[in-house]
Amino acid sequence: MAKGDKKNEWKEFFWNPRTREFCGRTASSWGLIFLFYLAFYIFLAGMFILTMYVMLLTLDDNKPTYQDRLATPGLMIRPKGEEMEIIYAKENTESWDTHVQALNSFLSPYNDSVQEQKNYACKPDQYFKQEDSDSVKNNPKRSCQFRRSILEDCSGLTDRYYGYDEGKPCIIIKLNRVIGMLPGKDGQAPSISCAPKIDDTDKMGEVAYFPRNGTFNLMYFPYYGKKAQVNYSQPLVAIKFLNITLNTEINVECKIIANNIPNLNERDKFAGRVSFKLRINSRN
Amino acid sequence: MTKSDSYEMFVEMDNVDGDVKIKKKKKMKKKEKLESMKKEMDIDDHEITLEELEMRYSTSITKGLSSTFAQEVLERDGPNELKPPKGTPEYVKFARQLAGGLQCLMWVAAVICFIAFGIEISKGEISGYDDLYLAITLIAVVVVTGCFGYYQEFKSTNIIASFKNLVPQQALVIRDGQKNQINANLLVVGDLVEIKGGDRVPADIRVITSQGCKVDNSSLTGESEPQTRSPECTHESPLETRNIAFFSTTCLEGVATGVIINTGDRTIIGRIASLASGVGNEKTPIAIEIEHFVDIIAGLAIFFGFTFFVVAMFIGYAFLEAMIFFMAIVVAYVPEGLLATVTVCLSLTAKRLARKNCVVKNLEAVETLGSTSVICSDKTGTLTQNRMTVAHLWFDNMIHAADTTEDQSGQSFDQSSETWRALGRVASLCNRAVFKPNQETVPIPKLSIHELEDPLDLRYLLVMKGAPERILERCSTILIKGQELPLDEQWKEAFQTAYMDLGGLGERVLGFCHIYLNEKEFPRGYTFDTDEMNFTTSGLCFAGLISMIDPPRATVPDAVMKCRTAGIRVVMVTGDHPITARAIAANVGIISEGSETVEDIATRLRIPVEQVKKSDARACVINGGQLKDMTSDELDDALRNHPEMVFARTSPQQKLIIVESCQRLGSIVAVTGDGVNDSPALKKADIGIAMGIAGSDAAKNAADMILLDDNFASIVTGVEQGRLIFDNLKKSIAYTLTKNIPELTPYLIYITVSVPLPLGCITILFIELATDIFPSVSLAYEKAESDIMHLKPRNPRRDRLVNEALAVYSYFQIGAIQSFAGFTDYFTAMAQEGWFPLLCVGLRSQWEDVRLQDLQDSYGQEWTYSQRLYQEYTCYTVFFVSIEVCQIADVLIRKTRRLSAFQQGFFRNKVLVSAIVFQLCLGNLLCYCPGMPNIFNFMPIRVQWWFVPLPYGILIFVYDEIRKLAVRRHPGSWWDQELYY
Repeated sequence: MAKGDKKNEWKEFFWNPRTREFCGRTASSWGLIFLFYLAFYIFLAGMFILTMYVMLLTLDDNKPTYQDRLATPGLMIRPKGEEMEIIYAKENTESWDTHVQALNSFLSPYNDSVQEQKNYACKPDQYFKQEDSDSVKNNPKRSCQFRRSILEDCSGLTDRYYGYDEGKPCIIIKLNRVIGMLPGKDGQAPSISCAPKIDDTDKMGEVAYFPRNGTFNLMYFPYYGKKAQVNYSQPLVAIKFLNITLNTEINVECKIIANNIPNLNERDKFAGRVSFKLRINSRN
Repeated sequence: MTKSDSYEMFVEMDNVDGDVKIKKKKKMKKKEKLESMKKEMDIDDHEITLEELEMRYSTSITKGLSSTFAQEVLERDGPNELKPPKGTPEYVKFARQLAGGLQCLMWVAAVICFIAFGIEISKGEISGYDDLYLAITLIAVVVVTGCFGYYQEFKSTNIIASFKNLVPQQALVIRDGQKNQINANLLVVGDLVEIKGGDRVPADIRVITSQGCKVDNSSLTGESEPQTRSPECTHESPLETRNIAFFSTTCLEGVATGVIINTGDRTIIGRIASLASGVGNEKTPIAIEIEHFVDIIAGLAIFFGFTFFVVAMFIGYAFLEAMIFFMAIVVAYVPEGLLATVTVCLSLTAKRLARKNCVVKNLEAVETLGSTSVICSDKTGTLTQNRMTVAHLWFDNMIHAADTTEDQSGQSFDQSSETWRALGRVASLCNRAVFKPNQETVPIPKLSIHELEDPLDLRYLLVMKGAPERILERCSTILIKGQELPLDEQWKEAFQTAYMDLGGLGERVLGFCHIYLNEKEFPRGYTFDTDEMNFTTSGLCFAGLISMIDPPRATVPDAVMKCRTAGIRVVMVTGDHPITARAIAANVGIISEGSETVEDIATRLRIPVEQVKKSDARACVINGGQLKDMTSDELDDALRNHPEMVFARTSPQQKLIIVESCQRLGSIVAVTGDGVNDSPALKKADIGIAMGIAGSDAAKNAADMILLDDNFASIVTGVEQGRLIFDNLKKSIAYTLTKNIPELTPYLIYITVSVPLPLGCITILFIELATDIFPSVSLAYEKAESDIMHLKPRNPRRDRLVNEALAVYSYFQIGAIQSFAGFTDYFTAMAQEGWFPLLCVGLRSQWEDVRLQDLQDSYGQEWTYSQRLYQEYTCYTVFFVSIEVCQIADVLIRKTRRLSAFQQGFFRNKVLVSAIVFQLCLGNLLCYCPGMPNIFNFMPIRVQWWFVPLPYGILIFVYDEIRKLAVRRHPGSWWDQELYY
């Protein structure tokens, strides 16, 4: 009986035919409440949109207000491989074909023809600064050419397979774009240096850097943002493993060497450095 | 109830309902047993002759039982001790504390965290120990709150232990005609025992022989005078008759022997003890309230969690991810700190009460007093001073009122009369006398004979006092204005009128007389022998009447008055006589001036009692005898019809019945008492209040609150504090609930719109358990907004702690504003670091991709995963700061529910001000302390982000001021109904 009462109570609460109440309120009461909340939330949303609008007005289109997290630019390799592991068998074309294709598509914007057409041949070894004058914005800004051919053996122009078929693979290292960053002080260009991790010291063998010394030329800095500098081509460094020990896993860490970039962030394994695993299998 | 009874009942039930489950049967049996306990004790051992008694218990009133037979009986009946009831084992009690509605949810959340962490480990990609931290914190919260609750319960359970102290250790028993000292627990029915002054009675005994034996029954019946025990049966009721001495009462003087008629739990005290430990501890109103809304919260949390679990699955998240969303929503929505806040608020009030001499044993009882609508008060010791004091005197044919205040500060009567001096002398000379409580037995007038101090006057003075009519019989003259006048019919009539008047006041009247003995007949050195009465005992001179009463405490009438203005009904429940009870009730205002009982109306209108309309009588006096014959419906009716009730001559069982009846009528009942006999009622009451000085241990143990100064007026303070804490808890809870919405919405937006997560679980726990605890507790220090002692007690069914308006206003209005504040700050922090709002939408999967080390922001800059993670932490911190800033506005608006914050004053609540300062300091510490980013995911954010939510904070304050203004200006309006909580 008590159960039935409770059921009836619920039923009554849901729809009470005597008072014509639905969930404890009449239609007009629901209407009023609905209108009240409608007005309330329209007001709140209005206030939200207004504050957001005001906030967006204060933003600069070309330079972020703060760059608190970007003190050390990230490094990244191409091809990325699976979980930063590049493992393939020299004789097995299919195992490295994806890497070659990734590199091909990655490097296609750097084709000499494209670069010459879109970009400007800057004066090397010095920053390519294009300051705005006080009132007039110096937009759009020009970008410097980074021709694919600079990467020589790793450009894919002379060696279609970037050395993968020979067991001398190329890895391309790129520095994350950060607006206004001027790496290297006193005209010293930042460079990439790769070294094996402790255990694998003698297994890595010799490494060749392209361009020579693995430097990022100063003329590619600073970056002015994707709006002002539409065609910016970020500089690359390629490394080629010349006589790597086959059939073993080798952990390689590449660091940027620049006198004004702190690259010792314990927590961020990709800030100013990049590590990857390399293993080339071979039947002989 | 005897064993065979219970067995019969059991059998009967079996027949009626054969297929009921055994468990149910047991339960019902227990209940029935309790019901039968409430019935009066029904024995006739005191009425039968000694021979019959010997037959019944196969004993001898000279030699006692034989040892072997005693052994058999002991095996049959069990030892003579109070058995503690089978309690729930301690670990079950503790486990129960860990398995509440919210606790279960938190367990589930913790388990999900562990699973998520386990899966991460097995995959070998530990991105952080967040899940582990979270799980551990959640479990810690559950366990700590559980311990709190368990400790509370643990303190208030140990009732039977106090009864054990009442039981004697040793007893002098006569078995096989030999006297032996044995352990009292070995006594059996039929044993012949001997008691003497100073002993405790070792069981319920029928007295066989007695020499001036007197016992102190105060712990059982509330009568404070020593009671004579003698072999004669003087009353049909076993409680009233003189030939039964009860287990655990103390023999004050004299010697007696008796046959044991009941042992252990079957004795009177045993019944009271099992009654006291058997009646369930009623859930306190605040516990019901908290349970009520915790259930709602838990329900809503599951509803939200499940809905978004389904939504997430539908959108295409993996099962594990959806589970983690569920967990996060539970963590965000459940107010983890709430139970701790409530406990702390209650204990603050308890502390405040302790300073005012009310010690609260059960924390929740603090609030119960506030919602109390009926106080059932014991008379002796609580309302009265518990000492017989001269209230009136009759001499010179005038009734004089004496000063009865505790400190003798009242007005005294004219003391110049010669008669007063004579009366005063008689009274002071005769005061080793003992007053006879039972007027129907023949009182032997006390007399004494004294030499006069005047050396010239060699006469002896004989003074005498006693029952007035007995004294008057012996008098031939009366002292009027110092003159001895012959006691003629006229004076006798005057005496009768005065005697009736004083008796009608519920006072105990004594007559006093004296005579100067003839010095020739009784020269100095004459040996008076009181046994032979070798002196004049008639023809005395009547000096006057003195009537005495146990007067009410000075503070009581005022306190009763305050209770009335506060809408609380005070009912007197006493073991004393109806006339006395009524007189005191009228005196303290329990029966107000001009209120009449049915009997009063009948005498006034000169009509039979049956013709009086019951509803005309405001007052009603019911004595135990009448109560025995009333059904519970009749009692309910009586309580409903008469606002002013006095129950006299009530037994412990009846006190319990009265309390239950009040509770049936929907009242929250407070019971005050001091004796063992009050303990069942104290336990049954919603709040039992024991007297600290006069109270027995049993009463104190059964009670929830103890008045250290035995002062009824302290109860009024308690009521006030209880009401205040109810209001303030409401504010505290409203404050605590509000922030659950800005904690929840980030997840909802995160799941549905896929923005980077704005607020992490650990940060939420910091808000819940660190920064917001102190402000929510500080609201307990808020002063009352109005005169709460002029309001009716809250209706427990209608005035809930958390009502719809409170939840809706907190969640959908203030909570909504806070959410908007949080998102404004979040989007600001994101945009200023390079992530525009529109880019954020749908960014989640890329943002959280651990392998993606060069994700482009709105400016074309590339971010590593770790950089994005720290940016996410920045967002957490910014959202945290927004909630903090809005919560400061929130705590300011929660200071009042109706008044403007300006009327209440911003700085009057110093604790609240320091709480806000504390909150800000803690917020800053969390943000700017080195190491925080990697431990608790707090980032040192830019100072300007603290100010982004400020407009919303101001909006909250202004909006609430407008709400309060409208509520004040337009009471009863739509606005008032919808927005006043």
